[in-house]
Amino acid sequence: MSDWKELEAKSFYGASARERARGIVDEGTFTELAGPADRMSSPHLPVLGEAVEWDDGCVTGVGLIGKHPVFVISQEGRFIGGAVGEVHGAKMVGAFVLARQMYDRIKEEHPDELAERLPAVVISFETGGVRLHEANAGLLAHAEVMDQIQETKGKFPVISLIGSKVGCFGGMGFVAAATDVIVMSDLGRLGLTGPEVIEQEMGKDEFDSADRSLVYRTTGGKHKYIMRDANYLVEDTLGDFHDQLAAIMEAPYDEIVQCRRIGSEALVDEQLALAELSVEMAPKDARDVWAYFGNEDVEQIPEMTTAEFLAVAQRR
Amino acid sequence: MALRELNFTFTPDEPRPFPVGWSHRGVVGSGDMEVMFEQRDLGGDVQIKVCTPVVGFDEVWERVLDRFVRESQVSDAVIEINDNNATPVVVSMRMRQAMEEARKEAE
Amino acid sequence: MTVEVMIGRGRDAIDMVVDPGSFRENTVGDVTFPEDLGPGAVVGEAAIDGRDVVVIANDAQAFNDKFPVVYFGVIGLEEAYKMAKVVYTAIKQDADKPVGEKRPLVLLVDTPGNGPGKIEEIFGMNKATGSYQLALAEARKAGHPVIALVIGRAISGAFLCHGLQADHILSLSPEFGTMIHVMPITSISRITKMDIERLEELSKENPVFAAGPQFFYHLGGVDELVENVEDMRPAIQRHIAEVEAAKLAGDGDATGPMGHGTLGEERGGRMMRRKVIDRMEEEFASVAGKYL
Repeated sequence: MSDWKELEAKSFYGASARERARGIVDEGTFTELAGPADRMSSPHLPVLGEAVEWDDGCVTGVGLIGKHPVFVISQEGRFIGGAVGEVHGAKMVGAFVLARQMYDRIKEEHPDELAERLPAVVISFETGGVRLHEANAGLLAHAEVMDQIQETKGKFPVISLIGSKVGCFGGMGFVAAATDVIVMSDLGRLGLTGPEVIEQEMGKDEFDSADRSLVYRTTGGKHKYIMRDANYLVEDTLGDFHDQLAAIMEAPYDEIVQCRRIGSEALVDEQLALAELSVEMAPKDARDVWAYFGNEDVEQIPEMTTAEFLAVAQRR
Repeated sequence: MALRELNFTFTPDEPRPFPVGWSHRGVVGSGDMEVMFEQRDLGGDVQIKVCTPVVGFDEVWERVLDRFVRESQVSDAVIEINDNNATPVVVSMRMRQAMEEARKEAE
Repeated sequence: MTVEVMIGRGRDAIDMVVDPGSFRENTVGDVTFPEDLGPGAVVGEAAIDGRDVVVIANDAQAFNDKFPVVYFGVIGLEEAYKMAKVVYTAIKQDADKPVGEKRPLVLLVDTPGNGPGKIEEIFGMNKATGSYQLALAEARKAGHPVIALVIGRAISGAFLCHGLQADHILSLSPEFGTMIHVMPITSISRITKMDIERLEELSKENPVFAAGPQFFYHLGGVDELVENVEDMRPAIQRHIAEVEAAKLAGDGDATGPMGHGTLGEERGGRMMRRKVIDRMEEEFASVAGKYL
C-alpha cells in the first residue's frame, strides 16, 4: 500500500496539518508552497519567548482533485492552537491570490474546459481564531481573508473541512460560515464564541464549558448538520473527506453554491427568520431544536454512529 | 525571556554525509519540536542550531545531540531545531525519524 | 483641540457627522425597517453636504429584550442581520448607478463584541457576523465607498464585523479613549504569562499586540487618526472622495483589507505579509504547469 493510501485510512481528527494537506487532494499531487524549508516563521514570537514553527502553523500548497487545481490551507492545532498571526494569515491570503490568478489563467487558456478545470480553495480548519501574541496583525489578516472569500463569489468554490481537535472558533468561525460548502465530521466543532467565554458571560449553571457533551451538542458536527450549517457530515478519515471533496468538485459551480448559508439578501432573510424563531422557541438546549425540526429520540443522537445518524436525521 | 539560540558543531568518527537535499519532521506543539536537516559540505562536520524558549538545559541538549550524531554518524548537514519544551526522548525520536526518512528517500 | 469622549454616543455621532435633521432612521430609499428590529444597531439614510449616504452605527444605550446578551453596543444576531440587510438594500437600489453615484456607506463604530451566548451559538452567531462582512465586501466591490469611523470601542471580532471591511478606516485619536484591540494588555499578560511592564515596553517597538488606535495606524489597519470631533465630518467627506477616486481608477485592492495590508507594509508595521505572498507566487510559478 502506498503512503498516501495509508494516509487515507487515517483519522482526520488526529492528523497533522501537513498530513491533511496531502491527504485531501489526489494521490501524489500535493506541492507545499512557503513550506518549512522557506523558514517563514513569525517575526513576533521570538521577542516574547514563544517557540516558532517554520510554517507558522499553516500548511499551504496546491494539489489536484481530478483536473481541478485545489489550493489548500491547513491549520495545525498543536502549534499555538492553530491561531492566526501575521505569517499564518498571509499564507491564507496567498492561497486565495494564487487561486484567483489560476482562475483567470484557465479562463483564458482553456475557456472550453473551465468547468472541469475550475479551481477551488479548500481550508482545513483547526484554530481558535486570532493569535494573542500578535493579535492586531492576526485580526487584520482575518479581514483580508473575508475580503478574498467575497472576491471568489461567482468564480470558483471555497470549501471548509472541519473535523480536527481544536475545532474552528473565533474569527475563523465566521470565515468558515462565509465559504460555499462546509464538510464536517461528527468530531468537528464550529462556532464563534468558545465554550469558556460563554461560561464566563452566562455563568456555569447556564453553560458549563467542562461539559464535553454539552459543547458537542451546541457546536458539533451533528448539530451543525441538522441546522444546515454543515452541508455534509462524513466519517472521520482523510479518505472520507477526500472523497466528499471530489464529489463536490464534480458538481457544476451553480449547484455547489446552493450550499451557501449566507452571502445574499435572500439567505440573510432566511437566517433572520431563524433568529426570530429562536426567540419563539427559547430552547434550553440544542436537543430542543433537534426535536423542533422533527428528530425523534434526541437523547440518542449523540450516541449514534455517523451512518446511523445520517439515516434518521431530520434537518432544518 | 526572548527565544534563545544554541549552536553546536560535532565531528563524527566515520562520517556518513547527509544523503538528500533536506528533510523535515515534527510539529512545534507543547512538549514537541520540529527539525530540519539540510545538506551542506562541512568537510565531515555537522552543525546543529537549536531555537528554544527553555533556559538552563544547554548541557542536556549537547549530550542528546552528541549521542544522536554518534549513533547516526551523520555529517555534512546543517540541522535546525525549533523546540517547545521537548523531552530528550522526543528530541531523539524526531531526529531519528527525519534521518530515517532521508536515508529511505535516498535509496 | 476638543476632547469630547464619544464612547456610548453612536446616535450623537450621527448628528455630528450628517447634515442637521437629515437622518431618517430605519429608512433606506423606499425600504423601511421595523423599529423593534435589532435595537443595538442604528441604521438609516442621511445626507452629508447634500449627498445621500447610508449610516450604520451602534447604539450602546439600547437593550435588545429578545436577546439579553445585547446591550452596551454588542452586535447580536438581529443586529448583524439587520446591518447586512441595510447593505444589501443599498446595493440593490444603486445597482444601475455608475461608480461615483452609488451612495457611500458610513459606519460609526462603538462596539465591544459580537453576541456571546448559548442561543447565539446554537443558531450560529458566526453566520450573523459573517453575513454583514460579506455584504460590506460586496458593496465595496460594487463601487460603494465604505468609510468606518471608530468613535469608541472597536474590539476584536466586533471590529471585524463592523469596521474592518471598510475601504478606509478612521479613528478618533487615543485622547478620546478610543479602544481598538483584541484583548487588553492585562489579559495578554495573564495568558502569555509575561509581565505587563515588559509587554508595555515591548509594545513600543512592536505594535502587533498593543491596544490602541495608534498601533492599528502603524499596522495599516487605520488610515487616519482624527484629532478633533469637529474634524469627523470633513474627514469622512475627504475619505469618501479619495476612495471614490481609487474606485474610478479601477484598482479594487487599493482600498479595503488588501489596501490596508499594503499600508501596513508602507508604515513598517507588517513586514512579513507581502514577503509571504510573493514567495508563494514565486514557488507556484515554477510548478504551475503541473496543475494546468
